Amino acid sequence: MTSSVSIKSLGLGHRLSFSNFSTLLLSLPSLKSTPPLRHRLWFLIVMGVLLLTTVTPLSRAAAREPFPDVNMNDPASLQEATRVLQEEILLASRPQNYLLIDLVTKTVHIKGRGLDLYRLTIESWSFEAPEAADRTYRLIARPPLTRPTIDLTGSPKQIPLSLEDMPTAYTLSFAPPLTIEVQPSDERNLFHQLGTSLVASWRTWKKWIRSFALGSLVGEPTRPAPYLLLNIPHDQAKSLAWSAVDGMPLIIRRPTEK
Amino acid sequence: MRQWVVACSLLLLIGVPTASLSQRGESATPASPPAVSASLVTSGHREEPPPALSSLRARYKTLAKQLSRLKPQEPYILVDTARNHLYLKHRDTILLDALASTGSGTVLPKPGGGTEQWVFDTPRGTFFVQSKLLHPTWVKPDWAFIEEGLEIPRDQTARIEQGVLGTYALGFGKGYFIHGTLYTRLLGKNVTHGCIRLNDDDLKRVYQVARIGTPIIIF
Repeated sequence: MTSSVSIKSLGLGHRLSFSNFSTLLLSLPSLKSTPPLRHRLWFLIVMGVLLLTTVTPLSRAAAREPFPDVNMNDPASLQEATRVLQEEILLASRPQNYLLIDLVTKTVHIKGRGLDLYRLTIESWSFEAPEAADRTYRLIARPPLTRPTIDLTGSPKQIPLSLEDMPTAYTLSFAPPLTIEVQPSDERNLFHQLGTSLVASWRTWKKWIRSFALGSLVGEPTRPAPYLLLNIPHDQAKSLAWSAVDGMPLIIRRPTEK
Repeated sequence: MRQWVVACSLLLLIGVPTASLSQRGESATPASPPAVSASLVTSGHREEPPPALSSLRARYKTLAKQLSRLKPQEPYILVDTARNHLYLKHRDTILLDALASTGSGTVLPKPGGGTEQWVFDTPRGTFFVQSKLLHPTWVKPDWAFIEEGLEIPRDQTARIEQGVLGTYALGFGKGYFIHGTLYTRLLGKNVTHGCIRLNDDDLKRVYQVARIGTPIIIF
């Protein structure tokens, strides 16, 4: 069992067991009567081993490419991927998990030690002031949770917190200033949609009034804080709310094409 | 008159920005996001000329290798607290997929009437196996007594409980363990005080593969 697993982990992609393999090797001397066949078999084994040692690392390297979609002929795309990688290397060397929002592939990656721990799909997004989002952010306010308090009266029904209790629409606030609004993409409730558009309207108005007032008083335009709206399926929104912990770092990979 | 003013204000408040939202809605497809321009990575405070394509490619490949080297090269333990699964992995291969129980997320006020409380979460992040125990003994912490409505004992021997943690335990710091359970029917649920519970067979497998220093990544 162990040998079969270890062969699988070597990337051979089949469940040939060591016992079968050794039986085959032991049977080789018995083929002395037919030397050409024996030579051919050894040749095949050597070639097979050589093929596996050369091809497997290559395919593994391709699978480990951090951004397989990066356009190697586009300087802007490469520069953005390089910037994200630089930031990620710093985060991956620390014990804390981190978030990587890849707007190019529309994926939220929950990562730790450079590993992709979990992936969430973004249905659609919009980004205000993305040019300022070129750094590592830290989560300062996660979605509010109502944690159940353990009932000391000895009630047998102790309800724990689970993924199902997580919100589907919430705001994540980061430092330096960045706001991420998460909305469920599969929410069909009219009131919810109305509420979403009212919140968005209020945001736009507030931003306009502030920039107008500051522009009039100070005389120079202010640099707006980035604002990212993510529409993701409601179950995935719950997963993100679950995994987001205070102080969690975040990096965003932005698209560079028009 | 006042009603008209209120109505007009509401209309302005909802109407005008909704137009900008719909534009934003169109921009939501990454294929054509107008909010993001091609000069994005060269805008802002990065005004130096972009490096040559060949040096960018070389830099990208070097960084990709650096990131790859930071990933665990030996088998590691991955714990998904949202779905209550523990995986034993080696690179991209899953060696074991086990149903687990993780932290309940509940709270228990500390005695004394203050605002302090225990929060029963499984910690997130990267940890390492610090101890491997055979036939572990549970030294009951204060919260275990309070939760049961009992007084906290002064005699430390009163805290010792045998046989509740299973045959093996793997410690990963601050009193957290991967251990066995008597309540196997609760596997797959968030019910623990922060430890990670497994059934006997899965625990044995994890114990056999893990060494002191094996990474435990919890999310």
